Amino acid sequence: MSDTFIPRDVALSSGPLRVSEAGQGRPLLHLHSAGGPRFSPVVQSLTKKHRVICPFVPGFDGTAMHPDVKTITGLADLYAEFIRKEFPGGNVDVMAESFGGWIALWLAVRHPDLVDHLVLEGPAGLRAGGKGGLPADATERHRQLYAMPDRAPAETRSDAVLTANRNAVIGYSASTAFDQALADKLPEISARTLIVMGYKEQIIPIETGHLLKAKIPHSHLTYVFGAAHAVEFDQPARVGTLVADFLERGESFIVRETAVA
Amino acid sequence: MQFTYFHLMPWTDLTEAPTQWPARNAEFNGERGTELYDTYINSMAYAEECGFDWVAANEHHFSPYSMMANCNLVGAALTQRTKNIKLAMLGNLLPLLNPVRVAEEYAMLDVMSGGRLVAGFVRGIPHEYIAYNVAPSESRQRMREALALIQKAWTEPEPFGWESEHYQYRSVSIWPKPRQKPHPRILLSASNIESAEFVGEHRAMLGMALIADLDVAAQTIEAYRKVARAHDFDPTPDDIIVMQQTVIAETDAEARALMKPALAYFHGILMRPQADAQRIVLQKTRFFGSDEQRDLFVGRLNKLKARTLEEQIEAGSVLCGSPDSVVKQIKKLHQRLGAGHIVMNMKIGNLADVAVKKSMELFRDKVRPQVAGI
Repeated sequence: MSDTFIPRDVALSSGPLRVSEAGQGRPLLHLHSAGGPRFSPVVQSLTKKHRVICPFVPGFDGTAMHPDVKTITGLADLYAEFIRKEFPGGNVDVMAESFGGWIALWLAVRHPDLVDHLVLEGPAGLRAGGKGGLPADATERHRQLYAMPDRAPAETRSDAVLTANRNAVIGYSASTAFDQALADKLPEISARTLIVMGYKEQIIPIETGHLLKAKIPHSHLTYVFGAAHAVEFDQPARVGTLVADFLERGESFIVRETAVA
Repeated sequence: MQFTYFHLMPWTDLTEAPTQWPARNAEFNGERGTELYDTYINSMAYAEECGFDWVAANEHHFSPYSMMANCNLVGAALTQRTKNIKLAMLGNLLPLLNPVRVAEEYAMLDVMSGGRLVAGFVRGIPHEYIAYNVAPSESRQRMREALALIQKAWTEPEPFGWESEHYQYRSVSIWPKPRQKPHPRILLSASNIESAEFVGEHRAMLGMALIADLDVAAQTIEAYRKVARAHDFDPTPDDIIVMQQTVIAETDAEARALMKPALAYFHGILMRPQADAQRIVLQKTRFFGSDEQRDLFVGRLNKLKARTLEEQIEAGSVLCGSPDSVVKQIKKLHQRLGAGHIVMNMKIGNLADVAVKKSMELFRDKVRPQVAGI
């Protein structure tokens, strides 16, 4: 597999799932945010050591909805079916941004045998008291997404596609700010988990990071200076190094290695 | 108004100025050093009896200018020698240090003192960067990152990791945390507009030293106020803190007679060895964000050094005189700068400690009663 992401459709029981993948090595599922699938510098760099697979949530970027998949847990089950089909008897690492983090958490809860390492970047679904959330005003939304606005990806999609993406998010999430059922299940997550929060994060409240760190048994919480919500775009070098190290060394990533001269 | 007794802990026994930096230490005498530490710490503890609101120390390296390589050690001694006075570390040279260690030591001081720490963080003076081999050009970014990391270390309820340009920690969870919640008040130093804006952005107290021109100082403080307000913080006079070398004696003449040779030792002996190192740092690095800021810094130092004592008093650079004269000088600073807190550095150069004690007592008996209510 090359380092260029190539899309394909995978037939699943509820319909075709669009995935785009690149790279070689241990499989890594990258679950996109409400902004839709975008191949950040971090994702690109991870293809050097991983086979990175980016599934499109049905309904995103012009893909068809699956009539029987209507909820976040439904999406988690859909991705579980994909993993079992593509990697029979195995498991994968999962990395997820924001909205994708909500799905990833349910995937780790409902299908613990399928998830080895879990990386959550500003995960949605656990905004206690309704704090945070995506601002309706476009300028303010952009400010809260990016601490380094000059690094934000250029938007090339049509208004119709972006509207469909937003409607899909609303449909799956039912505008839920805090998923209590998920919160209750966090202690059951067995995957070693890295929670990445931008130091300037406002869309996901700081309490979400604290909750995840406190409830997930084998977890690590890391703040990235100079980043807001879109950590992969704001600080690609810092996030890329951190995530690659976590995926490669697991729990021992907390120990500094001697630099190679 | 509030007042701080500050001590630099100078070495007082040199007869000739060291000509290079770092100052050679062959003349350091350990027994004399112990005597000086005893004298100085006694003096700092005595500040509580003299009605000062804070007692303060700071950090310097490789020079007789100050024997305080780590002011937190002095702070620790004072936690056991004082009861109510606030302990102000003004401060740790943050870009030179391990910020997690600073967070830990300040938290210890806050808990050991019963919540009396004032947490000062300074970028320091240029030559200090040579001592710990830190690039001066990195100082501002290191300061910004370290300050954010320390506040995280003080306030996070869960273990956390940190990724920034200069600092990476995979797992931090300090014990103890500070006693004051959410954390001790933070003081940052500023002598130019760029630094003042940084202080305002962080909603911290502003500390200012080496004032050469009250109008320039006022402009700097106004820049601080403006940025602070933009960050939902409206500084009060208590947040504006001005440091002054201070001698109070029974008469103006006596005070000036004491201060002149003390300043001569300070500028001629203690400040001499760092001159070359400072020049190199300023010429060869981006310690200041612009040439203009660098030239302002150098000009300010040169102006202070060239002035007579009388000119310095008139310019608001030092406090010197009888109690009534010093009261007038304090009121002038309050009026011109809006400063509600004066830090008094009374151990100037090799000024005799008995004269320092007299200054402290005159402050207690004749100065403070006239200005405390301002």
